[in-house]
Amino acid sequence: MSISVKVMQRPEPETTSYLRAALSGMALTFRHMINPVKVTQQYPEEQTQLSPRWRGTHVMEMHADGRPKCVACGLCPTVCPANCIRLVGGEDDQGNRYPIVYEIDEFRCIFCGMCQEVCPVEAIHVGQHFENAEYTRDRFVYDLDRLMEQDHPSTNLWDPSDPTGE
Amino acid sequence: MAELVKLTIDGHEVSVPKGTTILEAAKQIDTLVPHYCYHPGLSSPAMCRLCLVEVEGAPKPLPSCVTTVTEGQVVKTQSEEALGHRKGVLEFYLVNHPLDCPICDMSGECDLQDYVHLEGRKHGRGIEPKRVFGRDDFGGDVLFYGDRCVMCTRCVRFMNEVEQDECLTVVERGNRSVIDTFFDEGLEGTHWHGNVVDICPVGALVSKDFLYKARAWDLDHTPSVCASCSQGCNVLLHTRDNLVHRVKPRENLDVNAWWMCDHGRLDYEWMNVGDRLEAPLVRGNEGTRTAKSWKDALADLLERASALDDKSVRAVASARASNEDLGALAELVGAFGGGETVFRSPRAEEEIVLKGFPTLARRTDLAPNVKGAGLLGMKRVGADDATGGLESVAGHSGIVVVLGDALADQPEDFGSKAGLYIYLGTHDSAAAQAAHVVLPITTHAEQEGTFTNHEGRVQRFWPALEAPGMARPAWLILGALDAELTGEAGPQTAAEAFAELSEAIPALGGLTYEDLGTRGAVAGTKGAVVGTQGAPAGAAAQAARG
Ligand code: SF4
Ligand code: SF4
Ligand code: SF4
Ligand code: SF4
Repeated sequence: MSISVKVMQRPEPETTSYLRAALSGMALTFRHMINPVKVTQQYPEEQTQLSPRWRGTHVMEMHADGRPKCVACGLCPTVCPANCIRLVGGEDDQGNRYPIVYEIDEFRCIFCGMCQEVCPVEAIHVGQHFENAEYTRDRFVYDLDRLMEQDHPSTNLWDPSDPTGE
Repeated sequence: MAELVKLTIDGHEVSVPKGTTILEAAKQIDTLVPHYCYHPGLSSPAMCRLCLVEVEGAPKPLPSCVTTVTEGQVVKTQSEEALGHRKGVLEFYLVNHPLDCPICDMSGECDLQDYVHLEGRKHGRGIEPKRVFGRDDFGGDVLFYGDRCVMCTRCVRFMNEVEQDECLTVVERGNRSVIDTFFDEGLEGTHWHGNVVDICPVGALVSKDFLYKARAWDLDHTPSVCASCSQGCNVLLHTRDNLVHRVKPRENLDVNAWWMCDHGRLDYEWMNVGDRLEAPLVRGNEGTRTAKSWKDALADLLERASALDDKSVRAVASARASNEDLGALAELVGAFGGGETVFRSPRAEEEIVLKGFPTLARRTDLAPNVKGAGLLGMKRVGADDATGGLESVAGHSGIVVVLGDALADQPEDFGSKAGLYIYLGTHDSAAAQAAHVVLPITTHAEQEGTFTNHEGRVQRFWPALEAPGMARPAWLILGALDAELTGEAGPQTAAEAFAELSEAIPALGGLTYEDLGTRGAVAGTKGAVVGTQGAPAGAAAQAARG
């Protein structure tokens, strides 16, 4: 295919008046003043409805007695493409495997949700949440307690009635 | 040379010595027939039934671990029939298996995981409840998770045939059969029981020391040599985050086969100890120490040395230092003005022999390089707990050099009469307070080098950890000093340091790193064929799997 050049016909600067364009713009503005169309959402007074598959700040699920569900299997730090989960496993007083240290660096996280997908005990979840501003950077490394404190709903990565997506 | 037998495995012509099993022969074409009960270091009961292969002309599948090859045999390990049989056997293994891989320490290096992924069914069909045993403390370093056991009896056979201390047995029958100890007598007090954890193909026997500490796939493996006695067992250091997490034996039929003792296996924490010397420290005239760059510290040291009248040397070496380090020390002592080098090393009361493999024992010398220090003409002094014996060094007025000995039993004024006192160590010490220069060195886990074991086998080890701060291998530091004094170029790599040493020491007979390879060579045997390397065929492939 040969390349062709299209020469644009542009108005000569001296011969053009912008008055007409300015007037039609003003007309639009005044029309909206009289008859407003609401697109702006009044955040934070009004909250956005997040999709159930929205992937945001993590939540660690807990057992009824307050222990984390995580069994320190090491799969989420292994699968995490951002390498932002730090895990040190150990044995608790009942002889169970549990995370002594479990930290997620929410700054490095890319919210792919793979940690939730891989977790064999449905412990770590990404959540339907995005408001996590802080005053210092180090506060973005969420430790186990902080992850368990998160009270927003966790994400549904797939439709529970159709888990294989068929 | 044994008579060779020719056969065909999966369409490949293989010729192996007469008497080889099909399973070992298949390793020659890089085919590993799945198996549990078979281990090259143990007898073969052929009871796990997993290594079934199809042999043309045989009426039914044959267990490849006990079927020896015959001339002209045609074996199919991957035929539909063979795979079908193994798939069936694997399904039986999962009937009662808990599949608790997320909390199982074996996950990632488990033969059940591997084989089921490779050849098993995609989905389980079992609906019956599984039998549950729970976990049991076997004593020593071993925990037993009965539900995960595949009843291969490798552990029982190890204790009976190799350690020859019958501590484990199978109790009950049928699907209730389980491994157990005799009443309260566990593995406590036996010296080789860590090996049952290695040979257990699943997560039924796990190490208490390693329990839940790290994931198998997170660990880096570095070949090394055990530094806990003069046997020099070949090991792998498993590291993560610059820490050694466990030590596993590395197969070497000339030294330790597949085994190692518990003493050496659990003696690794010292490699992780923090609070290290990280920069050269030079003592000023008022006694305060300042951290300096290597260049300044060595210049300061040489200046002090050149101003001395009495340049006779008394050196204290360590039998934990590599041949390269000790060789460089000997060179430096010579370059200064000659003198005597002594070393101290702890000694145990008796050898702990592994009865089923009697060339392997926890030797009485509890340091890896006593022989190497001896070959270099260094004299052993002090008591059996590595104390005392340094009277002639402590008050020496010439040059005092300490390499790698922490001098824990020595007073603070050690070496205070010396014209120049050089202390090379990993950690600071009370007895190093009088040292004019304190130089930070690396441990054997942080450097490349060799040890000479009790029978004179020189074996290489590789760096597994990063050295802290400015710490350097002692051979590099001492070699640089020696180069300044003599005007010759110092060694730049451990291989060069070793080559120089092996030329200077007739006992080493001109060995080089290439001659040593990963399995070592006995000093003075260059060119000769030594040992039993390579037999039984393909054992290396098995050892890699543990
Ligand atoms: S969401 Fe993705 S990037 Fe974030 S922690 Fe989980 S796996 Fe890592
Ligand atoms: S995948 Fe789940 S159980 Fe495993 S370490 Fe992560 S949170 Fe814990
Ligand atoms: S023994 Fe193997 S298959 Fe069984 S739970 Fe442990 S890792 Fe999983
Ligand atoms: S405990 Fe391990 S080595 Fe012993 S029989 Fe069971 S699976 Fe085999």
